[in-house]
Amino acid sequence: MTIYPFLYVIVVSFYRWSIVPTIPRVFVGFEQYVSMFRDTYFHKSLWITFTLMIGVVIVEMLLGFLLALFISTSRGRWMRVVFLMPAVIAPVVVGLTWKFLLSYDLGTVNYFLTAVGLERVNWLGKPLTAFISIMIVDIWQWTPFAMLIFLAGLESLPLEPYEAALVDGASKFQVLRYVTLPQLTPVISIVLMFRTLDVFKTFDVVYMITRGGPGNATEVLSYKIYQKAFFHNQLGYAAGLSVVALILATVMMNLFSRILSRAQSST
Amino acid sequence: MRERNPLARKILVRVARVIIAVIALAFFIYPIFWLISTSFKQEVDVFASPPKIFIFTPTLKNFVHVFKNTDIPAKGVNSLVAALSNTALSLFIGTMAAYGISRFKVGGKRLLFWFLSLRMLPPIVVSVPLFMIAARLRLIDTRLILPVLYLLLNVPFVVWMMKSFIDEIPLDIEESAQIDGCSYFGAIWRIILPMITPGLVATGVLCFIFAWNEFLLAMIFTRATAMTLPVGISGFISVEQIFWGYITSSAFVAAIPPIVLALIFQRYMVRGLTFGALKA
Repeated sequence: MTIYPFLYVIVVSFYRWSIVPTIPRVFVGFEQYVSMFRDTYFHKSLWITFTLMIGVVIVEMLLGFLLALFISTSRGRWMRVVFLMPAVIAPVVVGLTWKFLLSYDLGTVNYFLTAVGLERVNWLGKPLTAFISIMIVDIWQWTPFAMLIFLAGLESLPLEPYEAALVDGASKFQVLRYVTLPQLTPVISIVLMFRTLDVFKTFDVVYMITRGGPGNATEVLSYKIYQKAFFHNQLGYAAGLSVVALILATVMMNLFSRILSRAQSST
Repeated sequence: MRERNPLARKILVRVARVIIAVIALAFFIYPIFWLISTSFKQEVDVFASPPKIFIFTPTLKNFVHVFKNTDIPAKGVNSLVAALSNTALSLFIGTMAAYGISRFKVGGKRLLFWFLSLRMLPPIVVSVPLFMIAARLRLIDTRLILPVLYLLLNVPFVVWMMKSFIDEIPLDIEESAQIDGCSYFGAIWRIILPMITPGLVATGVLCFIFAWNEFLLAMIFTRATAMTLPVGISGFISVEQIFWGYITSSAFVAAIPPIVLALIFQRYMVRGLTFGALKA
């Protein structure tokens, strides 16, 4: 039941296939793949997807880790509940909320900017700021998730190495670098895997906030496939794109499973 | 300075901590707070400048409109039906698979990672072929299609979660139950099942949240009669346009179940969100 769709998608990718069943299907072989590699929008979409992925994952992991270090040493246990909220709310609701918050003349983000004397920003109207907006929303939604996992990891660490380091007179930074980080490797790789593959799937927030625009500045791969299949009526081409996405995801998945099993066996 | 005045340094560190905490909390709470407060605002207060952030006269007008004059409640029912039936199905199938993998090492590590990669794939990748299959079976926009599709999402999740819960139960318990005269399935039914019930509940809650929040598949595979809440809300933006109060109140309604469930089952959330990898 699960293998069949994957085989089917490969077959479809060799055809010029319309969503309307009466239009004949034409076998075109590798033609779709050839045009895909010439399609500059496809290149751009790949570029956007990977830039978003790398940028967002780096920020979320750093910020999440710092916040976790911070909360684990303070008495802010009740804060945990608050940090759970963004991760469980539907991305559609999150996207909708941020669309309003980032609105040029009615959004409160711009109101706060003008209140501290800065210029209004046309968040969703310009390519670069629209891309940054998508990043901000993802960072908002998933940094707390990264933080909670780091926090759980930090709290499960044994105390003895810390006491030993303290006896040896290690500085705070040294403790972090040589005691905490090595022990946290499995947790770090878990967060890395979940976040990277999740960002690769990004669709809902882009759909709600920018619909891939302005132009195609935020057209991530998932959104591109969706458009080709269900708007441009090119199921064959969309299937070809899907095969590429499938290969990319599988490669990343294998990479992460290797990192994960290595991290788990080394500790 | 640092050596001479440790007290001042301590106070400084504490103040810095409080400031960071306040900024972080404000950043992560504000959008949710804005959503909830706007859903209770009168139209004039929504667009007031400067914005009325804390002080306004709350009204239920938006909710009344959404519940009385729109099909948001019907979509909520669709969401509920899809999420609940899928949760039950996923738990049933997934737990059996998890038991096999945990106790008999069926498929080994490979099968486990295969399940995980199913879950990690972008859903759009399989939606083109699945759409064609569903269209041929005339399942588009029926109440049957989403619970079945979400199996793709939730069964791998249940397998990982329940495997981690079953792994925690020592094999001896099952064996001693069998020695005491329990049949093989009797031992599972009377001994194992009660022991994994908390795990089942926690896993079910997360399955429900995932299915309830799912958007992409719901949008592609439903049109009207089986449409779920997230799809309804996304379409609401173009219908209600500037009536932010109506839009935010329907979005808030969609956010209530996950928030309430996350609050009640806090303890299991980290474990759930990492597929059982982290037992916090």
